[in-house]
Amino acid sequence: MADKEFSVYMCGVGGQGLVLLSNVIGSACALSGMRAITGEQHGLSQRSGSINIHMRIGKDVRSPLIPIGGADAILALEALEALRYVEYLRPGGVVVMNSRVQHPIIETGEHVKDKSARYMDAEVVKTRLLQVTDKIATIDALGIARKAGNALTENVVMLGAMSTLDAFPVPDDAVEQAIKDGVPKKAVEVNLKAFKMGRQEAHGSLCNIVKCRKGFPEPMT
Amino acid sequence: MTAEDVARDGPGKAFMLCNEAIVRGALESDVKVVSEYPGSPTTEILDTFSELSTMFDYKMEIASNEKVALETCAGASMVGLRTMTAMKSVGMNVASDSFFSLSYTGIKGGMVIVMADDPQAHSSQTEQDGRPFGPNAYVPMLEPSDPTEAKRMVKEAYLLSEKYGVPVLIRTTTRVNHQSGVVQLDKLDRKPFAKLPWPHPPGRFCTVAEAARNFKKALLERQRKIQEEFEYSDMNLVKDTGSEIGIVTSGAGYNYTVEATRILGIDPSILKLGTTYPLPRKLIGDFIKKKRAVIVVEELQPYLELHVTAIAKDANPELKIFGKWTGNLSEALELSPDIVATALAGVLGLGKPVDYESIIAKANTLKTGLPDRWPTFCPGCPHRATLYALRQATKGMKHILATDIGCYSMSFLDPINYGDTLLSMGASLGVAAGLQYAAQEKIVAMIGDSTFWHAGLPGMVNAIHHNDDITLVILDNEVTAMTGQQPDPGRDYNAGGQPAKPLVLEDVIKAMGVSDITIVDPYQVKAAVEPMKAALSRKGPNVIISRRACALYADRNKRRRGEAIQSNKVDKEVCKKPYTCIRNFHCPAISIDDNDRKAVITKELCDRCDVCAKLCPFGSIKLREGE
Ligand SMILES: Cc1ncc(C[n+]2csc(CCOP(=O)(O)OP(=O)(O)O)c2C)c(N)n1
Repeated sequence: MADKEFSVYMCGVGGQGLVLLSNVIGSACALSGMRAITGEQHGLSQRSGSINIHMRIGKDVRSPLIPIGGADAILALEALEALRYVEYLRPGGVVVMNSRVQHPIIETGEHVKDKSARYMDAEVVKTRLLQVTDKIATIDALGIARKAGNALTENVVMLGAMSTLDAFPVPDDAVEQAIKDGVPKKAVEVNLKAFKMGRQEAHGSLCNIVKCRKGFPEPMT
Repeated sequence: MTAEDVARDGPGKAFMLCNEAIVRGALESDVKVVSEYPGSPTTEILDTFSELSTMFDYKMEIASNEKVALETCAGASMVGLRTMTAMKSVGMNVASDSFFSLSYTGIKGGMVIVMADDPQAHSSQTEQDGRPFGPNAYVPMLEPSDPTEAKRMVKEAYLLSEKYGVPVLIRTTTRVNHQSGVVQLDKLDRKPFAKLPWPHPPGRFCTVAEAARNFKKALLERQRKIQEEFEYSDMNLVKDTGSEIGIVTSGAGYNYTVEATRILGIDPSILKLGTTYPLPRKLIGDFIKKKRAVIVVEELQPYLELHVTAIAKDANPELKIFGKWTGNLSEALELSPDIVATALAGVLGLGKPVDYESIIAKANTLKTGLPDRWPTFCPGCPHRATLYALRQATKGMKHILATDIGCYSMSFLDPINYGDTLLSMGASLGVAAGLQYAAQEKIVAMIGDSTFWHAGLPGMVNAIHHNDDITLVILDNEVTAMTGQQPDPGRDYNAGGQPAKPLVLEDVIKAMGVSDITIVDPYQVKAAVEPMKAALSRKGPNVIISRRACALYADRNKRRRGEAIQSNKVDKEVCKKPYTCIRNFHCPAISIDDNDRKAVITKELCDRCDVCAKLCPFGSIKLREGE
């Protein structure tokens, strides 16, 4: 396989802005002369359902779908969704997941019937995921997005965190340019801030477990 | 990727969705008239054309249905302009009556029809394979596998269309339409829009009897010439590696094939077909001639496989052919790289490159107890409230609910489980007519506004004319919500915001002869129940219109006007856990606090439709203030 390939399985709940992320990454690739393709979901599933985007970077990549066991990383904008697609993660792959859980209506409906039932939370998800990889970073993206100035930038916070990965082949300045081009003018500032804050957050939660780019702490060995 | 990229002059590069690349191909081909009705996975073609329509001089309509859209393009192409329509393949079912005739009469200006299948039925009622439309109507068909190819094929299709005077199909599948990639932008060389004089003798586009027989003779000749041209077309790709194993594939199947050969580390010969009707029989024959075995990789039905098998009879009778008929691949669901890799490994007797089964088994163990998250009504969706009110109004009334196609289709899914029949757009009324003859229960039909205009009108005419005992509930949320809130004939604007004449549902229905029309606001959920109940107890045909804008649409308009979107919260002092806001309501913004088991509302998700507040018997749900 050619070097510098990178496949990330991005997932979340309809309405969380996954398509913006794949557009930003893809446009950043176009700006830097790299090849990128995606397999996206539009249509019915966007109605508060589970959604996913297969994002693939590399000159020989042809399939818009990542094969099972083929994702270098899972980027989950919602915690339960990280678990839903775990079969796509390659052995030793990285999971960058939002700590936020959006409780599915089916689960809530069952809790009305069963008083002892408790929601599945991010900790349970993490414990389960630990059985397939030890590289899991949990990010409080909503908290950070609020600090950046807009709760809706949760997705860009997550992108910021992932972009620190050494394996993520797209240059920072291209990603920042693509954010500028891809979001409404009046939201550029807050999105760039969210992106930076996501990167800073990765210091403590991601770069201590996997190799990050120069300028970020070396991984513990 | 933004719409500006699609409009930007070339040369250059942009990352775009295949559907955007299709629009770009049409713009580079100087398309002049566009008409479409939305449907996944082609909707973004309509949306992109609509968004760009103020920047270019093409005429555009969001049509009332696919048949009208196709006919609109046909009319303009008869005069000599280049046109485009796009639809999902079930939309082609609607348009097909004129489509077949149009192949006979032909056209003058280039006409391209994008037809998309949806393997896996991601957003469709069936996994229909639209490819038979090509051969059945003798209309040439091209199949791209990625955005770059799609843009190129659109341009080729216009040339082909004008050369042979025939509309050309671009057939795609979901994973092609919804694939983004980096696309090369060429120069936009557009001529100013101008009407043309009608250049044809009388009867030129009339087909019946002797005229049809003459057209048929001519179209067979046309089809022979196109096939000959396709034998040498570089839209078909032959990669002969010298291997005796060959793979015949097209579209998305090609993408997975390449990935699978990388996974397996094999280098078979590959024939990728871009012209899938008429098929280049000689090319296929030459490819399979020296092969020991051929594997056919295609989405849905064994269309290529059938033809490869027929061609092999003369070209290579000893050839072993593997595909769907041999059970190596399935006709159900969509393909994927791992499915194709497993199939190739099986045929070639290779060990498993990756043990997919145990990865999936392990994953399933880890997912024990993980709750499903199927698509459902958005927070604030008026349909949730309408369904709640309808259930209250029909309490104790045995009834059958014939529902239709739209966001409200989701009512039959978990956890709402309400709805008995669902076939195709407009079918609620026709099915209801049959139900009221055969069933003892009360018959309720349910349809959205866009679907009513699309295909509900003939069913309405029929029900009125025959005095069928049906109560029709129209869920008027002002737009075609399911596909992204496009305006429908009820709005005072159309594509690109251009002004349009709004049609008023109750005026139209009244004029058709039904005066028993009840209009309710689903957000006034309790107040809606009694009038609904009264209407349901009267003999049909009568109509209930439940009117309230789609929440996503209303939010977009609010944001545009700079209005804040408010949210509610639960006053826990007051909440006594009746769960009225959850049972039969199921809003994604409402969950239960694990600590005190009281309802909580997620601020970021709530839309403040206030319906849950109206349902709560203790008045515990209130406006969230100062947070
Ligand atoms: C023939 C056909 N064309 C298009 C579609 C795609 N489609 C599914 S739902 C829908 C729109 C429904 O609009 P409406 O009836 O107003 O219901 P809403 O989604 O607004 O609730 C469309 C166009 C389809 N399924 N079948």
